[in-house]
Amino acid sequence: MGIIDKARIYSPWLYHLHCGGCNGCDIETLAALAPRFDVERFGIQLVPSPRHADILLTTGCVPKQFIPMVKRIYEQVPDPKVVVAVGSCACGGSLFYDDAPENYAILGSPDLLIPVDVYVPGCAPKPEAIINGVVQGILKLAEKASKKE
Amino acid sequence: MSTEIKILKQVLSNYSKPMTLNYPSAVSPDRKYSQIPAGLRGIPERDNDKCIGCRACYFVCSGRATSIYDSDAKRKVEIFLFRCTFCAHCQEACPEEAIKMTDKFEIAVAKREDPSARVVTELDLLKCKICGTPYASKKFVDRAYERLMEKIDQKVKETVSSDFKKVDGYCPDCRRANGVGFDTHTKKHVWLEGA
Amino acid sequence: MIDPIFTIVSLVLIIPIALFLGVIYQYFFRKLSARFQWRVGPMLRMYGDLKPLLGTTRLLQPLYDILKLFGKKTVVPEVSRKKLFVSSPYLSLLFAILAVLFIPFPGMPLLSEAPYSLIIASYLLIASILFTILGPVASGSPWAAIGARREVELFLVSELGFVLSVFSVAIARQTLVIWEISKGEQTLYLALLSVTAGALMLAAMMGKLHIKPFDMPEAEAEIVAGPYTEYSGKLLGTYYLTKVFMLYALVGLFISVFLPPLASSILWLPLYIVAALLILFLLTAVQVLNPRYRIKNAINWYLKVLAILAVVNFVIAVYIWLVL
Repeated sequence: MGIIDKARIYSPWLYHLHCGGCNGCDIETLAALAPRFDVERFGIQLVPSPRHADILLTTGCVPKQFIPMVKRIYEQVPDPKVVVAVGSCACGGSLFYDDAPENYAILGSPDLLIPVDVYVPGCAPKPEAIINGVVQGILKLAEKASKKE
Repeated sequence: MSTEIKILKQVLSNYSKPMTLNYPSAVSPDRKYSQIPAGLRGIPERDNDKCIGCRACYFVCSGRATSIYDSDAKRKVEIFLFRCTFCAHCQEACPEEAIKMTDKFEIAVAKREDPSARVVTELDLLKCKICGTPYASKKFVDRAYERLMEKIDQKVKETVSSDFKKVDGYCPDCRRANGVGFDTHTKKHVWLEGA
Repeated sequence: MIDPIFTIVSLVLIIPIALFLGVIYQYFFRKLSARFQWRVGPMLRMYGDLKPLLGTTRLLQPLYDILKLFGKKTVVPEVSRKKLFVSSPYLSLLFAILAVLFIPFPGMPLLSEAPYSLIIASYLLIASILFTILGPVASGSPWAAIGARREVELFLVSELGFVLSVFSVAIARQTLVIWEISKGEQTLYLALLSVTAGALMLAAMMGKLHIKPFDMPEAEAEIVAGPYTEYSGKLLGTYYLTKVFMLYALVGLFISVFLPPLASSILWLPLYIVAALLILFLLTAVQVLNPRYRIKNAINWYLKVLAILAVVNFVIAVYIWLVL
């Protein structure tokens, strides 16, 4: 394993994308970044621009008006990248899920638009659960990077 | 100025003892591994022996997470955790107390099809003797009989029991269509044996 | 005059030393501010059971960040002026490294013996910052433009403090060669000048390094990532590398100009490191105690502080020059 591959595992940067929903998962996500569960111990940092990110952390189900933004932000994250869907809404649509007839305003999980690598169910998931998901995301990131070379 | 000194004191006192938990690491001599409050609603777990497949959890589920799949001779009761809101309505509604919310929370999975994202119980189904459609799980009928016998008056126990045995084995539709006839001679409803 | 071979060897040697020290400074900065905020920060000793996966220590965390950025894909936006956008991070890094060569390290005078080295060093530092402004402007992003505008305003006022403090010492000591300043003996009046000019320099450093009350150019989340919004991959990594060299250069300049004998001999090396960490401690304390200023407030604050400190500073400097 080269030094750059190691560095990839050592410093994953998060971009937090809130697609839509009740904000519960966002609060828990921020709690995971705050002193109680301080993820900077492992070099994980919240970055403000998707162009700096390695891990795209999405919360909430996607409203139909937000579809182009989700796609665009996913494309802005430079390779190699990993998407972690946090919360039941982002995993399977949760309360907004409808078999038929389809919901008029809400599409559902972002995995209908972009490939999601790790799902973290929960309503809202505990900060620990989010950290657990992000750690799995980091392992996937290393896997992806090694595959490409 | 006094508030600024207060803040400075706080900042300096913060230095000595961080409040961070040791979370992903299991070795924690000085600090706690993780914080699990009492009454945390984590993954629901179903006791496969207790579950009778009565569909009570299916009716109360608010997020459409619980679904019931009837195949030929099996009933699959399933909670899809990706849609579950961990509201514990199913725990409340379950007559047999088969569903319990645990305090496990590490459920991150990589795939939708992952078996750990589902809580599944499989049950045997009874088939109707006439039309052959599966109508209820065996455990459900047995448990219903048991409960009936527990609560009923001693005097009518024999009659009810024999009546129960008579209708056992038919689906509700067939029971309605074929089960009961009207005997014009005695002017009474009678069971049509072996219809 | 020391022989040229030693100078050449030390010129090659100083770049890894500066990189290493800059990374250590940044680690110290991050760790200390984390501890002040009641958390752990990048771990010095990783938990035993996570060592195989996450490494034994995170002392070089800033370096890992940079290395990772170099391993990522670089996105160049369509609307940007591509030549300027791509070249300015490298030019910024180049000038920062050149500035490092003009700042003495204990036991290594490097190029600081050259005539007018103080002026050259401050010009190189200015040039480095200039290219952190030009690149973002070329990126064509409105956020980067806002960030760059703030950076220009902040840079102008902080530069004033920087120049006034550094050159007051130059006036008092009657030389523009950094090496001579850093070798000079201390007197009571010169020590007094060091205090006032050092305070002025610290204020200027806050603006140049974007320490908290003056981090409005980067203003995370407020204007996305400020000047670096459109940068990614290698180019962003280059900017981060520039920041590391910049931190080393400013701290080194501070010590060699205001704490004279510390940067002159190899024997002073432990004290040099202690002084550097003390400066970083001061900057961290300012960082954690302050919220972000608006750009208007920042300029007002700078002008107020500069007006008082600079006058005091110059009176002392001129007094030393003319009377003593």
